[in-house]
Amino acid sequence: MAPRFRTRSSWLAGLLLPAVAVAQPSLPDRHLNQPGPFFLTVQFAGGIGVVAVGGGYWLANRRVEPELLVGRVPRSLGGRGMTMFTLRTTYTPFAPQLGRGNWHMSPLSVGAQATYTTGKQFFLTNRSAGRYPKGYYWWSPKVRLGAFAGLRLTYQPDYDPRGWRPGRTTLYANLSTNDLHLVSHLTNRSLRLPEILTLGLGAKAGW
Amino acid sequence: MKAPRILKLYPVLLLASATLAACGLLEYSPNQTHVPAAERHLTAQNVARLAQQPKTSNDTVRFVFIGDSQRFYDEAEELVASVNQQPNIDFVVVAGDISDFGLVREMRWVHHRLQRLRVPYLTVIGNHDQVGNGRLIYQQVFGPLNYTFTYAGTRFIFLDTNSREYGFNGRVPDVGWLRQQLADTAGTRRQVVVCHVPPLDADFDSTLTSSYARLLRQSPQLTLHLAGHVHRYTAGQPFHDGVPYLTTYSFAKHRYLVLSVWGQRNFHLETVAYGAALPHS
Repeated sequence: MAPRFRTRSSWLAGLLLPAVAVAQPSLPDRHLNQPGPFFLTVQFAGGIGVVAVGGGYWLANRRVEPELLVGRVPRSLGGRGMTMFTLRTTYTPFAPQLGRGNWHMSPLSVGAQATYTTGKQFFLTNRSAGRYPKGYYWWSPKVRLGAFAGLRLTYQPDYDPRGWRPGRTTLYANLSTNDLHLVSHLTNRSLRLPEILTLGLGAKAGW
Repeated sequence: MKAPRILKLYPVLLLASATLAACGLLEYSPNQTHVPAAERHLTAQNVARLAQQPKTSNDTVRFVFIGDSQRFYDEAEELVASVNQQPNIDFVVVAGDISDFGLVREMRWVHHRLQRLRVPYLTVIGNHDQVGNGRLIYQQVFGPLNYTFTYAGTRFIFLDTNSREYGFNGRVPDVGWLRQQLADTAGTRRQVVVCHVPPLDADFDSTLTSSYARLLRQSPQLTLHLAGHVHRYTAGQPFHDGVPYLTTYSFAKHRYLVLSVWGQRNFHLETVAYGAALPHS
């Protein structure tokens, strides 16, 4: 009944905060204005659907990546079919070039996301559920807030990016958690960090 | 014919995803019902284990009664350590609110700890286990919301009394089902009813309270009515009809009850402190 907030030190907070905020423009100048600012994303797992697809718009020399994803969990895995809408921003402070080639490796990307799940079993507020007194449950099952950290590998070919071929392709892996898993971890010494992490694998293509 | 390289990779990918799923890293939604096969239908697994277990007595059942494990994982580990040192325990009953948020991982986290008990454990669904997709997750991980099993001449009847989660629709608790179970007295000497929300709580459907209490009063084998939800030990006869109604501690209270039932509706109760409640820790 009564929620418990026992604090504990955790290196998770340190991991998820963009500690490497100082960034140098490590992408060569020829890449700065091309390819274009739009990208498409496809992600496997990571708590936002079995497969989530979407896209976004690069900002700040492609260091900041706001995007919207739509994910789906079929009935066989979700009990009921669920559609999940995720609004997410990734911050990639630097993407050093690997040697003299077309590959860039970002050792750290961090970000935050909010996920909205369809289905009337997920109420937004106690009030909207219509059966609970005020303050009965303090969280909303419909919206999860999350944070993630990951790494990525980007390929930027030399050819003219105009046309259907993407000018940049990125493969990434993220470890994420959400607010409720994090609260569980922070209030229990024995709930280890790996127990609250979720792996997501994805690809992005930019034009 | 030489197989394409991707096909050679397939077993590796399959193994990798199975490994990730087993350690919980692979999750499609915190509300998904999907869990590894070994973590499905735990109620049936535990009832089967109980049936195999050599009985300490043919007419006495001795079990641990605790509730509300919701987000008390440290305490769950301490509980397991304590219960594993108790002699002659047949099983552990967790009186609902296994999870705090109705998420799949929470039920798995609790199971990962309680599976280290030397004896089987049995659960009843709580209101927190029904939030969001929780009810479907509970059904996948644990099993039916209403069920019974018989052990050493005692019929245990577990039922969903979380009326508020159904908007007080008049069908929860299922009084008709309970009547059938209580009427089935063949081969048993005692009955114990286990639920989460006790009948005089505001979360129990008040339109069903009197018929529920009447039913229990009219059941000659009924020995105890056990509930959780209130996170503390209470015992009494709220309907002044000779039926003992007990509620138990939550995991956070570092206490559990050991109940023994035997003979004709005899019961005995002990309180055990564990973990942080012990003076030396």
